[in-house]
Amino acid sequence: MRTLFHAAALFLAAGLAVAPAFAADGEQLYKFYCAQCHGLQGKGDGPNVVKDFPVDPRNFTRADEMNKLSDADIRNVILDGGPVANKSPMMPPWGKTLAKDEVDALVKHLRVLCKCKGKS
Amino acid sequence: MRRTTTLWMTAGALALASGAAWADAAAGAKVFQAKKCTDCHYTDGPAREKSLADQLAKKGPELWYAGSKFQKDWLGKWLQDPNPIRPLKYNSLTEKNTGGHPKLAGAEAADVTEFLMSRTSPLVKGGEIKPKTNPKGRLVFTKNMPCSGCHQFPGQKFTGGMNGPSLAKAGERLNPDWIFAYLKDTKTFKPVRQMPVFAGVLNEQDMKAVAEYVATFK
Ligand code: HEC
Ligand code: HEC
Repeated sequence: MRTLFHAAALFLAAGLAVAPAFAADGEQLYKFYCAQCHGLQGKGDGPNVVKDFPVDPRNFTRADEMNKLSDADIRNVILDGGPVANKSPMMPPWGKTLAKDEVDALVKHLRVLCKCKGKS
Repeated sequence: MRRTTTLWMTAGALALASGAAWADAAAGAKVFQAKKCTDCHYTDGPAREKSLADQLAKKGPELWYAGSKFQKDWLGKWLQDPNPIRPLKYNSLTEKNTGGHPKLAGAEAADVTEFLMSRTSPLVKGGEIKPKTNPKGRLVFTKNMPCSGCHQFPGQKFTGGMNGPSLAKAGERLNPDWIFAYLKDTKTFKPVRQMPVFAGVLNEQDMKAVAEYVATFK
């Protein structure tokens, strides 16, 4: 009986310790998927943005610009790409790539980068 | 008798000239181990990466479907003269790829080529996609989709972004059928990658058209 109890406790502890690793980490996701164009600091200056790059990726540190977008606007453009907001197709659609909680975490992270709340 | 000897000698000379006639996959697998290629590449499928951390821990691209992905001629030459494919260092956004990939000499390169060409995926059908300049494929690649945002290509003024593998010579390097298979089944080949999944965004006709177009890049 006692062994069983110990086993259960261990199992619970392990589960708890592992859980946070599965929660979507907005900053990590941003660095992996978005920084290539939007830059590690979010200034729109990632390594893809070479001379003659057709359109500047959004600078996420510009609160004035980012405040014009609601969280839903950001979510939609992440899911379906630039054209859904009449923007350039250089902004890719991520809807078939990212899970819902990952998109939510990214929206939150963009709000950290802009230090702004956005249009409600 | 004299005739057979001449025949054998001719065959031998031909084999020597091509350098590949005696190349053998089993010997190649041994070279692959001995040269520590295994430190950075795995050659048995299916894909092992499950998280961003798994992908970021890799020191080189997976090679378990190399025989379906690459053109044999390209592979044999590249192993002897491995010039950079990705403009940036693998898994880095800040450092350039300065080259320096391990090199193999002729006979070893031929064996390793045989070995890698034996690593195939059943998802890649043979002879479905042929290189073809077509307006639909060009439109998808250069206008409707962000392909050129990350991949170098033979463009007029804008020649593509830096973070993806260069496609500037994709017509020499990649198997056209693999390009299509990869677009269709992206996650099977690379469960975790910086490239978006386009299946469901593009239909099969568009994916075929863009694969045909990319296969013309030289
Ligand atoms: C291939 C380059 C590229 C990648 C990768 C990329 N973006 Fe973009 N993004 C752009 C470009 C270019 C624009 C600007 C489009 C325009 O202004 O027409 C943009 C614009 C945006 C906008 C602003 C849209 C608006 O209405 O102003 C948001 C939000 C955004 N991107 C989020 C992301 C997120 C989140 C990721 C990562 C999941 C990401 N982007 C990855 C290129 C990229
Ligand atoms: C220190 C790590 C490392 C070792 C050791 C190494 N490679 Fe690589 N390999 C890489 C990296 C990184 C790339 C990507 C190079 C590029 O994009 O230019 C690569 C690319 C390749 C490619 C092309 C794959 C593709 O998808 O573009 C082949 C084939 C290859 N290596 C074979 C070998 C063989 C054979 C050996 C042993 C002789 C070997 N590698 C040893 C890191 C390594």
